[in-house]
Amino acid sequence: MTDSDLDLVYTTLCKTLTNEGEPQAPLYLARLAMLCLTELDDPQRALSLIEAARLPAATAVTA
Amino acid sequence: MNRPFKPYPFSPRRHEGVVPPLVDGCDPLRRPVAIVGGGPVGMTLALALARQGVRSVLIEADDSVCTGSRAICISRRSLEIFKRLGVVQGFLQKGLPWAGGRSFYRDAEVFRFAMHHDDEQSLPPMINIAQYQIEQLLLDEVERHADLIEVRWQTRVTGLEQGPAQDSRGEPVRAAGATLALRTGNTAWRMHADWVVACDGGRSTIREALGLKLTGTTYEGRYVIVDIDLNSTRATERLAYFDPPSNPGSTVLVHKQPDNVWRIDYQLRDDEDPEAAVKPENVLPRVQSVLDSMGETGEWSPIWITVYKANALTLERYRHGRVLFAGDAAHLVPIFGVRGANSGIDDADNLGWKLACVVNGVASPHLLDSYSDERVFAARENLSYGMKSTEFMAPPSFAFTLMREAVLGLAGRHAAVRALINPRQTHAIAYTRSPLNEAAADPAGSFSRGPAPGAVLPECRLKRMDNGSSVDIHLTDLLEPCFTALRFGAHADPAQEHAWQELQATLTRQGIPFKAITLAADKTSQAARPTVLDHAGRLHDMFDATPGTVYLIRPDGHVLARWRDGSAADTQRAISAALTI
Repeated sequence: MTDSDLDLVYTTLCKTLTNEGEPQAPLYLARLAMLCLTELDDPQRALSLIEAARLPAATAVTA
Repeated sequence: MNRPFKPYPFSPRRHEGVVPPLVDGCDPLRRPVAIVGGGPVGMTLALALARQGVRSVLIEADDSVCTGSRAICISRRSLEIFKRLGVVQGFLQKGLPWAGGRSFYRDAEVFRFAMHHDDEQSLPPMINIAQYQIEQLLLDEVERHADLIEVRWQTRVTGLEQGPAQDSRGEPVRAAGATLALRTGNTAWRMHADWVVACDGGRSTIREALGLKLTGTTYEGRYVIVDIDLNSTRATERLAYFDPPSNPGSTVLVHKQPDNVWRIDYQLRDDEDPEAAVKPENVLPRVQSVLDSMGETGEWSPIWITVYKANALTLERYRHGRVLFAGDAAHLVPIFGVRGANSGIDDADNLGWKLACVVNGVASPHLLDSYSDERVFAARENLSYGMKSTEFMAPPSFAFTLMREAVLGLAGRHAAVRALINPRQTHAIAYTRSPLNEAAADPAGSFSRGPAPGAVLPECRLKRMDNGSSVDIHLTDLLEPCFTALRFGAHADPAQEHAWQELQATLTRQGIPFKAITLAADKTSQAARPTVLDHAGRLHDMFDATPGTVYLIRPDGHVLARWRDGSAADTQRAISAALTI
């Protein structure tokens, strides 16, 4: 992805998430995560991304 | 916290408001161009017009250059414009050059950016300089052109009427124009002008007088902007702190300015009252904690506090009959990415040569529609970058806030997301869809690289041949406010040389500013009297140029046309097509 591709994807995701609404955000992001992980078709990569996305213990999102 | 305020280290000169001799409340002298607003945009335009020998009057409501915290970042592109106008030296002497910056999330550095800078450059990617200094440097030059630029201080516009002017028998005459209603002190008076350019800022009186509205997006997120006096040897760079320990939940930006002035911007939380937020008792402790976290222990004083809300707005068109709009009067871009003053200076540069050609009678007024087309296009590009920066710096919804937290948290270990933190600083916009490009089109696909029509030129080191010896110069040193034909390695052909000399003579006679420059890749080439040596061959390479290639550059430094094998006749046709569009 080029920088502008990344920009487009990021902004589209933010706007879509805004439209889904805050209460639905975790479910929407969970669905997106499942789609991305299955699209990978690589269990080792998928497992390492699941690990990489973990939050440092002290900085859990409170939103 | 009790900390007395200091003034800015600058004392503006005050100027009298003087009304010219009037006949029936009207200045009998009709002006070719009246510029409303004596800020950076209005003064740049007046200087650009003066360079083409066109008179203008600058109408300024205040009695001095601006005060307060305004623009502080001037881009390389703006410096190139100032260089062509002959004022860049003061900016380089006063401004603090910088080339990049760092972003921090909590207490870790997560992103570093560098603006394009290499050995070919003659100008820094950016300088920091206060707007009062920008205006003073431009005003000094304006005053050196007092024969062509008249400044009317303390003069407000109270109304504007457009319409065909009438002759003494009441018959409409061909030259339409506009009449400005003005007030200087207690005197109300009128002035007729062929053209009026509104450079009167975000709250433009002219825009209101014509009933025009800016459209686009207004953001809710607010930033407090604080200028302080602090003596520090810290390097000049852009510093961004997201959710710093000193101001949890906030975003803080820090910029160094000349004369020990520092700009600190921080975002207000949605639940903070903006009126209370700018009170010193609320601002000073937050500034202190920012300085503490940066390790800045020196004595400091507040100078100025204001609150800012991002807008991304523009007019649909910048030409309305005899009235043109430039700068904040035409568009409001968010501060993030520093496109405000810089895009206004570009407006003035684009409009300057076109309006001069129209006033001098060498171009049709339709050329001014291309000003609107090109600069509305540029504003939309600037707005799109500015909105992306704003969405990151002042997230407009829970989703942007949440996603930003994710990106910042990942950026330390995952390089792939870092580009999203890039502040997307201003850059010159290529007029890829300009009507002028089409008018002067080159055969498609004949170049594999190099600036296409509508683009600006990259910088390059060159040598000027001067009586057998060579002097180090840069490509931007060759650009003046005129059409410039860059002739690459042209073979010595007496007939062609004669045609180029004829072209120069013809255009000079017609009052069209033009010069041709012959560039050769090496001294021993067969080039016809090379005036400039591309000793390393870099410019030839960057421009995909071969012997016979011609690049025709507009007076604002954008490419008008290029030919693999160009001639004086091609050049003449392209200039003529642009001016009679």
